[in-house]
Amino acid sequence: MAQAQTTGKSSSARGAAVLELKSASLSLLALVLKSADPAELAAGLAEKLGDSPGMFSNDPVVIDLSQLERAERAPAAADPDAQGQLALDAGAPHPLDLAAVVALLREHQMQPVAVQGATPEELEQAQALGLADASGQDLTRTRGAEPRTVVQEVEVVREVVREVAVPGEAARTLIIDKPLRSGQQVYAKGADLVVMALVSHGAEVIADGSIHVYAPLRGKAIAGARGNADARIFSLSMEAELISIAGIYRTTENPLPDTVLRKPAQIRLDGEKLVFEPF
Amino acid sequence: MPTKIVVVTSGKGGVGKTTTSASFATGLAMRGHKTCVIDFDVGLRNLDLIMGVERRVVYDFINVINEEAKLSQALIKDKQIDNLYILAASQTRDKDALKEEGVERVLEELKAMDFAYIVCDSPAGIETGALMAMHFADEALIVTNPEVSSVRDSDRILGMLNSKTKRAIEGKEPIKEHLLITRYNPNRVEGGHMLSLEDIHEILRTPLIGVIPESEIVLQASNQGTPAIAMNGSDVSEAYKDVVRRFEGEDRPMRFIEAVKPSLFKRLFGGK
Repeated sequence: MAQAQTTGKSSSARGAAVLELKSASLSLLALVLKSADPAELAAGLAEKLGDSPGMFSNDPVVIDLSQLERAERAPAAADPDAQGQLALDAGAPHPLDLAAVVALLREHQMQPVAVQGATPEELEQAQALGLADASGQDLTRTRGAEPRTVVQEVEVVREVVREVAVPGEAARTLIIDKPLRSGQQVYAKGADLVVMALVSHGAEVIADGSIHVYAPLRGKAIAGARGNADARIFSLSMEAELISIAGIYRTTENPLPDTVLRKPAQIRLDGEKLVFEPF
Repeated sequence: MPTKIVVVTSGKGGVGKTTTSASFATGLAMRGHKTCVIDFDVGLRNLDLIMGVERRVVYDFINVINEEAKLSQALIKDKQIDNLYILAASQTRDKDALKEEGVERVLEELKAMDFAYIVCDSPAGIETGALMAMHFADEALIVTNPEVSSVRDSDRILGMLNSKTKRAIEGKEPIKEHLLITRYNPNRVEGGHMLSLEDIHEILRTPLIGVIPESEIVLQASNQGTPAIAMNGSDVSEAYKDVVRRFEGEDRPMRFIEAVKPSLFKRLFGGK
């Protein structure tokens, strides 16, 4: 989540500025690479994320290259006290192909936005790919702690994903706060519809879920548009010219009963019959 | 002060848009504001007739849009009122000649000439002419007769003002809406034949800027080629003057909305 701090500028003249610069911070995951071998990375990612494919949803990620084994990095390779250095495998370390790494991460729905701890050559690759250089930033805590941090986060998230695996998506709600005039139409697809102002004659409100109008409803109201017979229609002044729930409809050629006409009321479906009830 | 573009629109035809555009623009000019009124009814132009300038139209709005003439050549200066200019529509072309970029360019040129108000007389309907007339508006007068089909059409137009105009598309502050009831006859309202102001408000829920009474003066005025507001002393003229004052922020009570019972003398010997 980005947090913005205002710069203390007062927005005086209208249209004076078309944009503002504010300081902001973004929490990211750091992906610390120990190897640049694409096959190894692919296997490693598949193993870590294999059974939680939806864990990342284009989450921003910084690629931390500070612990990468590099052939050219003679001093680091020769220094046995370098933090986090793993034992070298037989054979020369793979040179980094950042484009391939980025593509692999994107396949797993990670969105790389920056690199850290990159060599000048790697930085060139990063810039060519449009990634920012986060070297100057104080990323997280100490270098040594990073791998552990990443692992912990992965595990926590994995548990949460397992818990909510089964139930379906909660129904969203489309909220309209301007009056709907004759000839205008709104369709709340896969959702409930809330209208907080007048729905005029000749306007159409349609929802796959329920319709709630906190004002007079005078137009056509079509709820449960894809067959949801539990959908209802609510209004503070029920004057609709056509009512339909899950395909069962009634025009006001057959006038609404006096108990509900122009009163706060709800309409629901009981079997094949529309039922009108004042609140 | 920046130029304000005001569209006079209605949806329904024949309710009094051109009559209102002519009187409203004249009223603003009479109060000292440099005002231009533009006829957007390409092919069926009549603003110039109502303003009495039909014999002086050489170049028109479409000529300027197509760069066949300069704006200064097409603008007609009113002979009676200072500060008032008319841009007539073409009689021979049709609405396809109205192009958004062309309209925008002409409006920008008018703004550069320091006009305080640009009044756009919309044609009836919801097609190109009406859409172009409202597209760049800052405020709108929605002309409505106290009659069901006019009210329904005005509702449609209100919907388009808040969805199909530049301000709506760019998410800017919405166009300021003013409802103008024309051809109001309080006696017929009392008799239940015409919608009352309360009925209309219940349906449209838009702030009322004025009520223009039904009057034979309007016909006389258009025959003379004079805007109704210039027919001094008449109820229509006074009502339009009230509208202009309210538009500029003055608080005026509504006049001409009470049914007048004819005196015994009148009832015995006819007359209204």
